[in-house]
Amino acid sequence: MENVQHAASTDDIVSRVCSVLVDMTDDWDMDFEGEINRDTFLISDLAFESIDIVQLVVAIEGEFDKRGIPFEQLLMVDGRYVDDLSVGDIADFLSASL
Amino acid sequence: MTKTLFIGLDGATFTVLDELTSDLPGVGVTMPFLKKFMEKGARAKLRSTPNPLTPPAWVSIMTGRSPGHHGIFDFIRAEENRGKIYFTLYDSRDIKTETIWSIASRQNQSAVALNFPITAPPRSINGSLVPGFVPWKHLRRNMVPPELYDRLKTLDDFNPKELAWDFDREKQALEDLGEEGTESWVAYHLPREGQWYRIAEFLLNEDNPDLMAVMFDGVDKIQHQAWAFLDPALLKKEPSAYEQRMRELCLKYFRELDTYIEGLVTQAGPDVQVFMASDHGFTSTTEVLRINTFLHQKGYLHWNETDDSEYSKRREDSNFANVDWDKTLAYCRTPSSNGITIRVAQEPGDPGIPPAEYESFRDGLIKDLESLVDEETGERIITDILKREDYFPGDYMDHAADLTLVLRDHGFVSIRNLEPVVMPRDVPAGTHHPDGVFLAGGKGIAEGVEIDRLDIIDVAPTLLYSMGLAVPEDFEGSVPTSFFSPEHLRFKPVKIKGQTLSVTDGDAEIEEISEDEKDKIMEQLKMLGYME
Repeated sequence: MENVQHAASTDDIVSRVCSVLVDMTDDWDMDFEGEINRDTFLISDLAFESIDIVQLVVAIEGEFDKRGIPFEQLLMVDGRYVDDLSVGDIADFLSASL
Repeated sequence: MTKTLFIGLDGATFTVLDELTSDLPGVGVTMPFLKKFMEKGARAKLRSTPNPLTPPAWVSIMTGRSPGHHGIFDFIRAEENRGKIYFTLYDSRDIKTETIWSIASRQNQSAVALNFPITAPPRSINGSLVPGFVPWKHLRRNMVPPELYDRLKTLDDFNPKELAWDFDREKQALEDLGEEGTESWVAYHLPREGQWYRIAEFLLNEDNPDLMAVMFDGVDKIQHQAWAFLDPALLKKEPSAYEQRMRELCLKYFRELDTYIEGLVTQAGPDVQVFMASDHGFTSTTEVLRINTFLHQKGYLHWNETDDSEYSKRREDSNFANVDWDKTLAYCRTPSSNGITIRVAQEPGDPGIPPAEYESFRDGLIKDLESLVDEETGERIITDILKREDYFPGDYMDHAADLTLVLRDHGFVSIRNLEPVVMPRDVPAGTHHPDGVFLAGGKGIAEGVEIDRLDIIDVAPTLLYSMGLAVPEDFEGSVPTSFFSPEHLRFKPVKIKGQTLSVTDGDAEIEEISEDEKDKIMEQLKMLGYME
């Protein structure tokens, strides 16, 4: 039962992160034409730059009405910055952090 | 019904404005509207913040408070914790005192604020706000009210890419771009100002805010790169073809700016009081002072070891000090700070000097800085060394550099690991001067008045007074009554009453940044390549 609730919660988070990204990228003139979903990557699909990740973090904190989410745990692995992030990576991280 | 129109002119200086409002042989009057405005109105030099820099100075204009109180000192904010140094960016959440937009809003006055720095993320106001210094991709979500972006999209020629900051381009402000690059730099800023003008014109016409405020920042940017074509003292009698083109391009910018000012003042109408101010002035810088190299030579600073990796190169090229944090005792964090930070050990064993040695250490450092002189003339390179308790008193004094330096040419320091310590520039470049401009015109303004100098913290009380509001008792500046006619002052005396609200009082949604969030921002900056 616990696992089922967790899955539902993560699905909800995926949905809300996708909504944030859809709103954010609404007028970005991107080549990406598919639907933003769990498997969408920020850099390779949505052409994110570093400053966009900064803004995404702020937008996600706004969406979940919570500040101080330890995003560094998501952005850095073994002391190195990750090369890219998927919506699923973000949702799983949020599911564990919120 | 609009009462007050405020036009910010980033970096505007009388050295240039007086020239461009004069009838020059072969050129004519470049800014004919401003000429008439200045002749019919009041003017004064406007003394900037102790370090005349865009963020602290505009925030002083917006809050009527000095940096020690409002808390903004630089573009970059740094924190040190147990020997670890973190660099982050100042944003609106760091402003610790109430803005005039908020003061007006809570007294049922409406305001429009366009392109002012450190206004994102935005706080809600009774009116509209478009922040400055925000990339175009994120402009829509940082506007107040949220539906403003869709309104602006209805404007002919609205183009957020032209309107907003292009960070890659703007960081070239202090770089040597070469002839082609400099020409392109200046040309880039012409359409941007047109975008801001059309938005200001639209909101002034549609919304009639009690306070209409817009800032044109191209003045500063162009003067940084093209000062040699604007300072009358530097103009050549026989310019090259390139120099002629650059001069004409600069004049074109100011001609267009003059039409924007005319358009807004005309549209506001004859009953509106108009004020224009700059955050600082401009002058020539003729040399480069590599302050961290000097501190290294004196034993205060140890450089970080670098290698040939891309990371090392990027770190070395960044505008954040790259030093050995275990050994360095004093260093300059950023070129724009013109400040020296003394590292004081928070706990025994931490890097830095023991707290008890602070005064004696600082006195020795000041003596060393004073000893840096021009080898030929004996003149001091650093003419003033400002202690923070003298120049930045207030709750946030501790956020200021321990010493702020004023150089003999008013230049900004370099923090690069290069020699020699002092290097003459091939050609003079533009840099900030402490004296900006403050102009007033319109109904109730005294005609032809010139005051020698006002202070940047006088702008906010002047704008509130013009709107018919009381000046808060905790404002540090005052209304320059000489700017107003005796009749106007008799009919409408200056009222000083009440206090500003603390920022949390005014907007419960703006909270103190938590420690976790600070860490998060640091990580974001790491992603940006700003820090180790």
